[in-house]
Amino acid sequence: MDGTGTSLPLDLAITPATPVGYRLQSLRKKAAIQLMGSRLWGRFNPNHWDPVYAAATGLKAPIQTGEMSSAYIAEMCVNHFGAAFFKGSRMVCKYVASTCADEIISTHGVVREKQPKGAGFRFIVDVWAENEASEKKTAGWVEVDVGV
Amino acid sequence: MTSQTHGQMPAADALKPMSPLQARQTREFIDGLASEARPYWDMVEIGDELSRDLHLSAELVILYCDGVEDFNPWYEGWRMNSWHIEGQSPFGGAIVPPLLVSHFVLSVQFDATRPFSIGSIHTFHDSEILEPIPVGANVRITTRAIDKFEKRGRRYVRHGVEVTDVESGLLYFRETRDILSL
Repeated sequence: MDGTGTSLPLDLAITPATPVGYRLQSLRKKAAIQLMGSRLWGRFNPNHWDPVYAAATGLKAPIQTGEMSSAYIAEMCVNHFGAAFFKGSRMVCKYVASTCADEIISTHGVVREKQPKGAGFRFIVDVWAENEASEKKTAGWVEVDVGV
Repeated sequence: MTSQTHGQMPAADALKPMSPLQARQTREFIDGLASEARPYWDMVEIGDELSRDLHLSAELVILYCDGVEDFNPWYEGWRMNSWHIEGQSPFGGAIVPPLLVSHFVLSVQFDATRPFSIGSIHTFHDSEILEPIPVGANVRITTRAIDKFEKRGRRYVRHGVEVTDVESGLLYFRETRDILSL
């Protein structure tokens, strides 16, 4: 960010010149049970924060709401696309496996395609979140207009 | 709450340390939720439409961001010591994170006047982030149940969602999302 906090670090910004195959910078987050069970995120469902209740419903541990990993991926996308991510973008995610309390999750993204659009491109980026054993938890893609 | 107090249940202390009082309060809270629970599948019919208005206060945005440890200054319309501030983003003042309104959809599609929907899991979303939403906006979240289907022995409910500005009607956000139900 610059001094006003409104622009992206130049080394992260995706521009029309960014090539297919470019890898977004990962983020790492811990699935902390205290955050998973906060009022705004998961308090309404004990499967998100109570080990005893989770076990009674067949889970090995409380599971994070999928929307938390979507938020992690969105944070990674904002780091790279900046303002463009807030206008006419699309994010598609499937929660393919549960994120359990205490797991360390990392986000990933690779530019799959650039579709010519206006003066720039609509970028298609494969995105996912995985644990330290490289087990995918959330997978999908985003579409963002750059330089259009 | 420990393995000693709950027989075969796993010990909770490692993840969530609690005193006996906290453990009792937790069990009372959970028992209260579970006592009226029903499967989501049974509570939704295709065509059901629900809508609620939400004020995206600066404090609400901070609560959301802190939960996922996203400290981007663009989202700050409230800051410790300063309290309420205009904030700064590429769009002028502070804006809300791109998927924030998606998280609040569940508070609409899970009708708050009905029993808790036990065992429901959000499995999929296809979200269009159409316009930036300023911190302080009043938004209307409208959900419509558009499908109920079974896939590999599991039951899903699909909703279409629109989020608009209450005052101007501007469409901020659109989404299709699936809930797996017991």
